[in-house]
Amino acid sequence: MSTQNRWLIWIFLAPTMVLMGVLLYYPMIGTVVESFYDTSFISPEPRFVGWAVYEKVWNSRQFPQVVWNSVVWTLGVVLLQNLLGFFVAMLLNQGLPAQGMLRALVLLPFVLPGVVTAILWRFMYDPQLGLINSLMIRLGLVEDNAAWLASSDTAMAAVIFVAVWKGFPFSMLIFLAALQSVDRSQLEAATLDGAGPWRRLIDVTLPAIKPVILVNVVLTLILTFNYFDIVWVMTRGGPQNATHIFPTRIFETGFGQFRFGEAAVYGVFSILILAVLAALYVIVQKTADGRRRTA
Amino acid sequence: MTQSPQTRAVLMLAQVMLALFILIPFFWMLSVSLKPATEPFAIPARLWPADPTLENYVTAFRPEFRTYFLNSMIVSGSTVVITVTLALLAAYSFARGTLLILSGLMALVVLAQMFPHSAIIIPIYKLMRAADLLNTYASLIIAYVSVTLPVAIWMLRGFLLKLPISLEEAAAIDGAGPLRIFFGIVVPLARPGIIATAVYVLIVTWQEFLFALSFTSTQDMRTLPVGLNDFIGQYGIRYGELMASSVMVSMPVIALFFFLQRYFVAGLTAGAVKG
Repeated sequence: MSTQNRWLIWIFLAPTMVLMGVLLYYPMIGTVVESFYDTSFISPEPRFVGWAVYEKVWNSRQFPQVVWNSVVWTLGVVLLQNLLGFFVAMLLNQGLPAQGMLRALVLLPFVLPGVVTAILWRFMYDPQLGLINSLMIRLGLVEDNAAWLASSDTAMAAVIFVAVWKGFPFSMLIFLAALQSVDRSQLEAATLDGAGPWRRLIDVTLPAIKPVILVNVVLTLILTFNYFDIVWVMTRGGPQNATHIFPTRIFETGFGQFRFGEAAVYGVFSILILAVLAALYVIVQKTADGRRRTA
Repeated sequence: MTQSPQTRAVLMLAQVMLALFILIPFFWMLSVSLKPATEPFAIPARLWPADPTLENYVTAFRPEFRTYFLNSMIVSGSTVVITVTLALLAAYSFARGTLLILSGLMALVVLAQMFPHSAIIIPIYKLMRAADLLNTYASLIIAYVSVTLPVAIWMLRGFLLKLPISLEEAAAIDGAGPLRIFFGIVVPLARPGIIATAVYVLIVTWQEFLFALSFTSTQDMRTLPVGLNDFIGQYGIRYGELMASSVMVSMPVIALFFFLQRYFVAGLTAGAVKG
């Protein structure tokens, strides 16, 4: 674009900048402001209270539970989703029959709408009517009708499983693209040197795609931390808050109980956590780019 | 690479297990949706109905469902058109502009991708309330356009950066104005990127739940995900209808995805795996 057309750049950018400013960046600040005000259903007029709401949230019994649940949920989903995604990418990169069809099929859960996924799996987990208990009883794995989502011992694991089922295709897709970009001559050279499949994986493949693995992990950390629909539709944060994570807690306090101040405090905490993750993402991406340039 | 017959057998078995892991829930959803109300699905259930019927689909396609479907089409359709248009304009500026400030703005776009929707929703809700837009299509469309813009810009910018700039330069030498270059050369060449981005935006907005749940308050404004969630309470035990509705909600995006898969996969992986 030539110099005299610089105005065009700004005309093209203007709508985006206005929308992002008003609906993304302003609300970011708005949440911080909101967290210093107390609002409730009984007194809907916001009242400035300083750090009072923070103190209330910090000292509540739910807060440590929400933090702990979010850690378990995020780490559990990210770890399992990327491990499974990696192994499936390896599997579908072996040149086996039906591989092309499977590559397309595997993406189905990723496209299935979140609420549909949640409803489908709620049904799968149903103690009496669900397929899981039906299969497990036939196989003799469980004797009674286990209530996977209604017991606080199993609910979190059950929800994590569903998120992994829906999320691993995304990781797989990125890993598969990375695997296909691995230099074939290096792999062949390693084979000639007598390296078996494991050695090739550890010595050639993994170092080559390490940047993609790191970016993938941090990206899924951010996406998973922000998850709402599957958890809300499957458990509403229950039973006994066993699956309440930041997004479900914010929605419940904000729009279930209209305690905006309290919801905003949870919002500020999740922004802080995400800021750390975002910084991590930038660092990982930078080093990944740097390595690519020097390679 | 050649594998021993044993390794091959193990890998084939792994492929079969993978296919089962993916497909069993889908199979179950279809099976139950085709089951007549008279046929029990309690344990021990038949895996496939003895007399498959579409009666659940007929019942599930009730007036409310049709309203939700129409609402979803209006909201998602408008969002796709507006987001892709605005993102293409912005992405072009980011891809071709050389001003230093643009890289700073692009960093703000990338950062905005990571904003947690639940953490910014209360101020957005208050804005919509102040503008008297709650419970309207506009509130959802505006919110969806804003939250899908950053990723759309990022995807399209990746595509535009790969286009050869020489064509645009040649056209400029021939005396074509900037707008003519943009609409006559850039837009047609960027078509694969535009399709990929549109599919992405559609998949995201078709299933969006948090904003739709918070901003709509009456039945006639509900979108499909929220409507479907309401069905759990209303028809909790009638799984046949619930599954038939689920199939109908999923069909449009799944069909579209399979038609346009090539573009979409290229679009998603282009940004994440450069070079």
